[in-house]
Amino acid sequence: MTSLTIGLLLILGLVVVVLLGMHIAVALLATGFVGIWILRDNIDLAFRLLGMASYNGIADYLFATIPLFVLMGILVSISNVGRDTFEVAEALLRKLLGGLGVATVAANAVFAAVTGVSIASAAVFTRVAVPEMGRHGYRLPFAAGIVAGSSVLGMLIPPSLLLIIYGVLAEVSIGAMFLAGIIPGLLLCFGFVALIMLLARFRPSFVYTDVEAARTRQAEAHNDKTLTWGEILRKLVPIVALVTLILGGLYSGFFTPTEAGGVGAFGALLIALMRRQLDRARMWQVLYQTGLVSVAILVLLIAAGYYSRMLSIAGIPNAIAMLVQDSGLGPYGFLLIYVVIVLLMGMILDSTSILLIMVPISAPIAQSLGFDLIHFGIVTVIAVEIGLLTPPFGISVFTVHTALADPQTKVEQIFLGTLPFVLVMALSLLLIAAFPILSTALI
Amino acid sequence: MNATTEQDKHRGTMGKTLHWVAAALSMIGTIWIALLMFVIVADVMGRNFFNSPITGVAEVAARSVVAIAFLQVSAAVLNGRMTRSDMLLRVFSHFSPRVTAFLELLFALVGAVVFLAVAYAVWPDTVRAFNTNEYFGVRGVFTVPTLPFRAIIIVGAVFAALAYLAVAVEHLRQIGRPQS
Amino acid sequence: QQTITINIGSSHPESNIWAYAMKNAFQPTVDRLLEEGGDEYRINWVESYGGTLYRFTETRTAVRDGIVDIGMVGTVWEGSAMPLQNVTYFTPFATGDHEMLIEIFDHLTEELPELRDSWADQNMLHLSSLITDSYDIYSNFPINSLADINNRRINAPGTSANWLQGTGTTPLDGALTTYYTDIQTGVSEGALSFATGIQPTRVYEVAPHLTQVGVGAMYFGGIAANLDSFGSWPEAVQNAVREAGRATSRAHGDYVTERAGVAMSEMEQAGLQVSELPEADKQAWVDGLPNIIEPWLEDGGDAAVTVLKAYFDALRERGVQPLRDWDEGL
Ligand code: NA
Ligand code: NA
Repeated sequence: MTSLTIGLLLILGLVVVVLLGMHIAVALLATGFVGIWILRDNIDLAFRLLGMASYNGIADYLFATIPLFVLMGILVSISNVGRDTFEVAEALLRKLLGGLGVATVAANAVFAAVTGVSIASAAVFTRVAVPEMGRHGYRLPFAAGIVAGSSVLGMLIPPSLLLIIYGVLAEVSIGAMFLAGIIPGLLLCFGFVALIMLLARFRPSFVYTDVEAARTRQAEAHNDKTLTWGEILRKLVPIVALVTLILGGLYSGFFTPTEAGGVGAFGALLIALMRRQLDRARMWQVLYQTGLVSVAILVLLIAAGYYSRMLSIAGIPNAIAMLVQDSGLGPYGFLLIYVVIVLLMGMILDSTSILLIMVPISAPIAQSLGFDLIHFGIVTVIAVEIGLLTPPFGISVFTVHTALADPQTKVEQIFLGTLPFVLVMALSLLLIAAFPILSTALI
Repeated sequence: MNATTEQDKHRGTMGKTLHWVAAALSMIGTIWIALLMFVIVADVMGRNFFNSPITGVAEVAARSVVAIAFLQVSAAVLNGRMTRSDMLLRVFSHFSPRVTAFLELLFALVGAVVFLAVAYAVWPDTVRAFNTNEYFGVRGVFTVPTLPFRAIIIVGAVFAALAYLAVAVEHLRQIGRPQS
Repeated sequence: QQTITINIGSSHPESNIWAYAMKNAFQPTVDRLLEEGGDEYRINWVESYGGTLYRFTETRTAVRDGIVDIGMVGTVWEGSAMPLQNVTYFTPFATGDHEMLIEIFDHLTEELPELRDSWADQNMLHLSSLITDSYDIYSNFPINSLADINNRRINAPGTSANWLQGTGTTPLDGALTTYYTDIQTGVSEGALSFATGIQPTRVYEVAPHLTQVGVGAMYFGGIAANLDSFGSWPEAVQNAVREAGRATSRAHGDYVTERAGVAMSEMEQAGLQVSELPEADKQAWVDGLPNIIEPWLEDGGDAAVTVLKAYFDALRERGVQPLRDWDEGL
């Protein structure tokens, strides 16, 4: 059996145990260990790489931003900044068909400008928006799908951890990557809005539990007391302050993209204190939740890093490089194969590992084929982000599921509710791939 | 009958101690996250207003993430917060709760083994770090010993393994319990 | 004919100046030498370039533990485990001649037990020296005198932060990949770096003033073989590997020269303004540095003294007059 065959069998093995319900980090570590042991016929080596992956796998300033962005998300959530943003969006958009869903997307887009990781958005808006949509007759899985789907905006609208990592790997300016993410982010945002409105119009049974009741509420919304402009303004001050702090600080050179997480969390802390939402007990609760949410991601990253080292020993990256190089299909044929591979990897691997495996191999090829590396980066990041929403390993969906904590709403139902958003992302991906100007216009 | 009660009680204290240690470790990790935030803000302020950034923030932050992760992991295991996809498991549980409990038991044991392997894997370099006073940073700029950072991985991984064992024991009891 | 599998790899892609010669000089030379030497053995190269197997912080442990049999080791990141190799980073303003640095360190690593053993202590055999081209300042403001960098913020991570002591300049952390954004947004106003690193990351677009300040070229690390792996190979393979190491040193030097030349002319075409800091200012700078080698000497003890003296003797033998005698009084 060749290394490559063993590698492919190990991928299959991983998928099987993950589907059976093994903790994903444990599954990655276990299959990674067995894989290295078999491939190099040396158990010592499996241990040594395990030690390296544990000690060094996430030892990077970039990864330090993850707990900080999570902390910011939770602070913003308990000081009701997320809810206020959502309420304003709701007040302004309620008369629209599917207005609550559209409001969720809009609030997510604004929130994306302060957070760098999708799971932060997912965690915040699951708590804020899903119960509200539930009260208004939305099917919970679809409501959860809206949150999971629009959470990807957090990684596309700057600041963004994925854009930072791509920039580092492909050696392109992170500032330029950030600018390049804006138009595609808005495009996705409008795609999601259109999707929700179209579904509400033509397939209401996918959106609502009780279509008639929802219609009645929609009609009554016109008579409801809505927010006054004064209230809207008051509710918007904190989020506007945060967005200003972060984007202003980033583009005036006050701090770096990596530092944005720390500064943003601090800003959110100040807002929470000013709104008097934070006594000692709640502060503990916030920190405790931050820890639990962060560790799930960080341990996954360590495990995924170890697993990808095993894939490297199996020769998978080289095989992919050969496949991509020998495809002989010209630039867009290459891009198609590349995107398909990234999408497949997105089913089983986390975003960072995919970037680590694919970008160093493919960026030079893409460049030699005439692609702009910034355009290529946006295409890559969107393809990687689709993986956040696809089973069996879709971390945004997991986050929504965990944060929702509703025994009636199962993971697979949320995956189904998210599917339409995956299709919109795929469509946007096609558009952005075909028209480089969409990503390079602002640079 | 008596013996079983004794055992349960004993297990209870063990379990309580484990929960207590996990909570304590996670609290340290949690405070660490807050400190990280303050250090980054101080670094940004120092650089912009006083032309004096804090040296070594990037390196220390990098090592800190690892420590934070391993300090939290046992609490995450005990609280059922490790990411998983349990849809098939739930389907099984309709047909046979015992089979489900058996799979859960098996997976928890794999978890324990994997984290023991992590502790074992990190051990040699930890001993070396102790013997050679290994540091990170640059002589004359700033240096920080690596030993505490390596030791935290071992402590965190060992308690994660114990946490998985505790979970395994719970599932074992479910298998033993008569099906209703 | 017998086939021997050798795992070779690096934390950087093969287009990188340090990994380039491994793939493009080392491997073909070993193959050629074995073929010429009777074609008794053939190497099955298993390549892991580009950091898919291990990261830049793990280059030493990767080769030490046999994760690869042969790999690039960046001793610059190994100040704790392999301090001696970092002598150049603690003795700036010595020489800008990177090819000479390769020759000196190939020689010293073979001759000095201190250096040779420090590789062996890490279960490694040094095959070939790796260097950087000369460190200079790329900034978004012109520098005509030493006073011009007073009160400025310059990216100078790790050991290079030392070089700015006493100049009134604030050294900022960072990496080749962050300089562009840092300078563009104003987090920093320049970077202390080398042409082959600056050109691919296009830092010159936001920092169009290059001032040659004479900090000089640096010994960066080496290509090394895992000792256990090396010991398991037949003598013919061992000899070919050692011989290829020497050829790789030359190829690496040539490649850096070529790349630095191309980089400079491309950057100048793109509008980079090149100037040189006046000699008197260079001298004032280096004289104003505190005794930055002191902590390094304390750490390394007698072995460090030996290595420092041997390095400076080698420089002077080759006609180099370092701007400061860092070995004075030892
Ligand atoms: Na964002
Ligand atoms: Na996925």
